[in-house]
Amino acid sequence: MALRFSKSKHNTKVILDGERWERRLQKELMSLIKEPPPGVVVDSDQGENLSLWTIKMRGAEGTLYEGENFTLQFKFSPKYPFDSPEVTFIGPNIPVHPHVYSNGHICLSILTDDWSPALSVQTVCLSIVSMLSSCKEKKRPPDNSFYVKTCNKNPKKTKWWYHDDTV
Amino acid sequence: METTNAPGPSKSGKDGEEKEENPLFECNICLDTAKDAVVSMCGHLFCWPCLHQWLETRPTRQLCPVCKAAIGKDKVIPLYGRGSNQQEDPRNKVPPRPAGQRSEPETNSGFPGFGFGDGGFHMSFGIGAFPFGFITSTFNPHDQRPSQAARGLPNEDEFISKMFLYVAITFIIWLLLA
Repeated sequence: MALRFSKSKHNTKVILDGERWERRLQKELMSLIKEPPPGVVVDSDQGENLSLWTIKMRGAEGTLYEGENFTLQFKFSPKYPFDSPEVTFIGPNIPVHPHVYSNGHICLSILTDDWSPALSVQTVCLSIVSMLSSCKEKKRPPDNSFYVKTCNKNPKKTKWWYHDDTV
Repeated sequence: METTNAPGPSKSGKDGEEKEENPLFECNICLDTAKDAVVSMCGHLFCWPCLHQWLETRPTRQLCPVCKAAIGKDKVIPLYGRGSNQQEDPRNKVPPRPAGQRSEPETNSGFPGFGFGDGGFHMSFGIGAFPFGFITSTFNPHDQRPSQAARGLPNEDEFISKMFLYVAITFIIWLLLA
């Protein structure tokens, strides 16, 4: 058993050459620029570092967030797309939403448990836009102050508990 | 290979063109044209190396990345296009998963109805005159019959079995007729 495990690990390494990882991110960037979800703007120049993206997002019209601007940060590990990206809101304006903590962490199942390599930056952005749009009342999560004080910097280290799928 | 390509902006000039022509045949994981392609029962296309890696990532929860249907090594079909020069199953190329092994169950050549064949427990009985009956009502918990050849009488058991079958049949017929 142990032998088999180490063997598969080795194989994983072989498959995961940097080039393919880069190629997928490059393709995603191109398609995001070409067809961004509503309200999403991505800089075509993400700098040298393909593993860190900054994306601008505008609150959709007719929702509680209309007219607001947000900034999302995507961090990709070398295991992407098998490993989900680390997605947080950054900057001065963090949306006030029952699933968004004031430090920018987002409680969204597709960012951890329900991640699939067929998802993309585009679909994650779309999910976040839709999560914001379906909000009925602007408020922070009930455990916000405790969580923000105690959490890890990486939201993926949090053991999220997904219990509310209404917003 | 192709040196006629203009020094394109993308690193993979030829591949890039190919992809733009057939986005339909892109792997749902690496977004490149599927290589060593397999298709799931739910109809989603992947490179086998990509899908394999995903299956290894969550071995206890193997779901189709696109639609979350159940998926697994045995639930995908390899695709062989005309251009593929070798018709080798792509699933064999990334083979960390050893194939399962099963051996055929031993077939019992005695009375099929009388033996409890698969438990290693064999029982036979016969009806007949004393000496024969004595022999046949043997009952061996671990009937491997390993020493048939060693005994030098390979067919003895079978012969006796058949003989007592006939004796039994005759006896039953006689009972019915009497």
